[in-house]
Amino acid sequence: MAEHDPRGERLDELRRKFGREPLPPGADQKELTPREAQPRFRGLESGHRACQGCGEALAARLVTECAGPDVMIANATGCLEVFTTAWPQSSWRVPWMHSLFENAGAIASGMEAAMKAKGKNTKVLAFGGDGGTYDIGFQALSGMLERYHNVLYVCYDNEAYMNTGIQRSSSTPHAATTTTSPAGKERMGKRHLKKDLLAIVAAHHIPYAAAASVAYPADLQRKVRYAMGIEGPTFLVIHSPCPLGWRHDSALTIEVARRGVECGLFPLVEIERGAVTNVMPIRKVRPVTDYLELQGRFSHLMTPDDARAEEERAHLQALADHNIQTFGLRGDTPDAGDTQASSSVGRGGHPAGRV
Amino acid sequence: MVILTRGAYARPGTSLDFKTGNWRSGEAPVHVHATAPCAASCPAGEDQQAWFARLQEGDAEGAWREVVRANPLPAVTGRVCPHPCETACNRAALDAPLAIHNVERWLGDEAIRQGWTYPVSAPAADAPEVAIVGAGPAGLSAAYHCVRQGLRAAIYEAAPEAGGLLRAAIPQTRLPRDVLDAEIARLLDLPGITLNLRARLGRDVTLDELERDHAAVLLAPGCQANKAWSIDGAVPVDLHEGLNLLKEFVDHGQLPEARRVIVHGGGNTAMDLCRAMKRAGAEQVTLVSASGLPGPETDPSDVINVVPRELEEALEEGIEILDHTTINRLILRGSRVTGVEVMSLRKLRGEDGRAHRVGFEGTERVLPVDMVIPCIGEEVAPEGLGALIDHGYLRPRDPAGRLTQERVFALGDARGDHGTVAAAIGDGLRAVRALVAELEGAPASPDGDRVGIAPDQLNLSYYDHSARVAAPKLRVEARTFETEIEGDIGRAAAMAEAQRCLSCGNCLACDNCWTFCPDNAVIKTVELARDGSHYLFDLDYCKGCGLCAQECPTGYIRMQS
Repeated sequence: MAEHDPRGERLDELRRKFGREPLPPGADQKELTPREAQPRFRGLESGHRACQGCGEALAARLVTECAGPDVMIANATGCLEVFTTAWPQSSWRVPWMHSLFENAGAIASGMEAAMKAKGKNTKVLAFGGDGGTYDIGFQALSGMLERYHNVLYVCYDNEAYMNTGIQRSSSTPHAATTTTSPAGKERMGKRHLKKDLLAIVAAHHIPYAAAASVAYPADLQRKVRYAMGIEGPTFLVIHSPCPLGWRHDSALTIEVARRGVECGLFPLVEIERGAVTNVMPIRKVRPVTDYLELQGRFSHLMTPDDARAEEERAHLQALADHNIQTFGLRGDTPDAGDTQASSSVGRGGHPAGRV
Repeated sequence: MVILTRGAYARPGTSLDFKTGNWRSGEAPVHVHATAPCAASCPAGEDQQAWFARLQEGDAEGAWREVVRANPLPAVTGRVCPHPCETACNRAALDAPLAIHNVERWLGDEAIRQGWTYPVSAPAADAPEVAIVGAGPAGLSAAYHCVRQGLRAAIYEAAPEAGGLLRAAIPQTRLPRDVLDAEIARLLDLPGITLNLRARLGRDVTLDELERDHAAVLLAPGCQANKAWSIDGAVPVDLHEGLNLLKEFVDHGQLPEARRVIVHGGGNTAMDLCRAMKRAGAEQVTLVSASGLPGPETDPSDVINVVPRELEEALEEGIEILDHTTINRLILRGSRVTGVEVMSLRKLRGEDGRAHRVGFEGTERVLPVDMVIPCIGEEVAPEGLGALIDHGYLRPRDPAGRLTQERVFALGDARGDHGTVAAAIGDGLRAVRALVAELEGAPASPDGDRVGIAPDQLNLSYYDHSARVAAPKLRVEARTFETEIEGDIGRAAAMAEAQRCLSCGNCLACDNCWTFCPDNAVIKTVELARDGSHYLFDLDYCKGCGLCAQECPTGYIRMQS
């Protein structure tokens, strides 16, 4: 009897699923359109209805193209679900299931159990926004992690309920203005702090939990690939600017995300089994005002000669400094993994190569 | 067996039926191949960005071929050019400009070592022949471009060797003769070029004969006559004029003896002479220049016209420079100089709105000297050119160098409007291009219709800091008359330096647009698209957010309506 070869079996399974018969010799090869001939998997296709410059659409595209094609997705209610699947069309090129706002974790758990029962190896992803993850779906997420399902949960964090009209969530940063935390005479935007979800998720003692940003796609995709290779629950939170809700120019999505990382307000950390194992060092730490000044949701903090604005700016700066100190983010000596080296390009791409 | 397709395609998402491109309200991304500032400022017409791109791909010979599209003598210009490209380089906004001249020099030397040949085919035997007067950089460049364009060239040179000023007046410490000989020999070996040595215009050939026997005449005689120099009519009996003195020195290595020397002028000839006199043993060499030294205080239009590294080396060697100063009076004992009176002056805007040099009373000083050498410039020697000369020069009526006569062009220093080797080489390119268009009856191709690009149009977040290469240099004590002072940087450093090029205004193929488009509307192709990049914009789905343009490192993508 032939030796057991799990890789070969897997390849055969994929061939059965996605393969095509070879053409007879001399037959004309099918002419591929430039779109079809692109050297990457298109998990989230064009024609979706996201706003111009949507950070979440970008993040979902980046995740799916390096996780796919052998995945299936459970997607919580939110922008991502709405703009990708306007009936009767879908932008997804992988099996995809819509869950309620609160139960993406539970649906993904069930999909994973079903695949296991069928003896399939297909990885299950769960997608949710910050509302569906930090707030409404939190309990289902916690259960999924605790039951140790083999699921990668990706939270697209745009820091408010954008789909329903920019209401505050527990992920909205302190002092940001939303429709339910408006800046005015009484308050300077949201009164409370952004929930540290990553720490809570990591407290489940899962194999891998990490934060990524759309401004560092190579780093983001490395984290996705790493998580895909783990048998067990993994979690990724991706900072995804929302031009509509954050009120910045649609061309500045990446610049805003980059400054968010470079000022220390959104630290890119990786946590394995509850311990911080890696951080992206910041080559040159920027003041938080560099980040705030691009966004309309913080414009009330930029009023000159306003004591309340000054206090809130100082507060946000202190929060960023706290992150920098807690995670040791200051990377004054150049490092191949720091904010500068991670984004540098040369002729033909990133010097280290985008695998 | 069943083939597993790449990426194991799932069936296309049907949202492709929904063309989000119609959401675009105004501008759409387009590729704009702007002219990089190095190329825009190059008097020789090189596109440095283009050849650095080839070096970044590891293709040194391809890079050299890109250089010689415009400049057939890169080993020469890499050594003697004042490199305005480096002054213009956008990388200065990030750390330091690229060491373009060092890399060009390495490429030129590598071509000589490897024996690379010009990508040129022989012109037809019955192709029109162009007469070129002078085998200096302008004449040689013109001959080379004639052959490139399928014309034949006949060069008439008064001297017994080709090279012009490169051979006659540039010291070996800046331009070793073996390098010069190798580049000139490679050029003159091209099929279709005949070189007539010891053929002086006005003595051996006349302009009328040349015009009669050739399709066109390109005049590149250089400036061989010193401008008359005196201070209030006083001229010392042992006057040595700068360029002549330098030529004698370069020719047979002799310099007059003097203890204290003043050189009057502010160009490379003056600087070369100062350094040669110092090395020959003069105790004190002083350059008196009406222009200023480069610095924040000095108006850029009034800076001493010297290659920056030459100035730096001269100061290292102990040359004293009196800037913003002029000679007021010669103090003569009999008819020999014993001292000069100098005076401070500045270029100031007068009541008529024009800049004048104004001397300041009360700043006069007397310096004891043994010799004063004027280096105040040269003009065209009138022999054989007669009526064409206008106030010392052959002043052309257009940038291509056309004179009033049909198909007669002026090139190089003789034009009087510029005075560098690179500009002379560029003149050859521009004149031949215009001539070919004229011969073919086509309108001259519009020059410089591409837009420029400034540092704020790049996205500098994507470039890591990286130090500029420092070329090895001889210690001051080790410098002689023969050995070259600046050294070779070598292959590894040249290739590393090339990686520093920002590729302003041209595609790096870095994938940023392809990676960052939230709508999958940027499509990567294997073949080069028509506009020279690997990416297409699928305007059926582009919503016009502008992310790709914002995140393009090189400013190659712009949003236009």
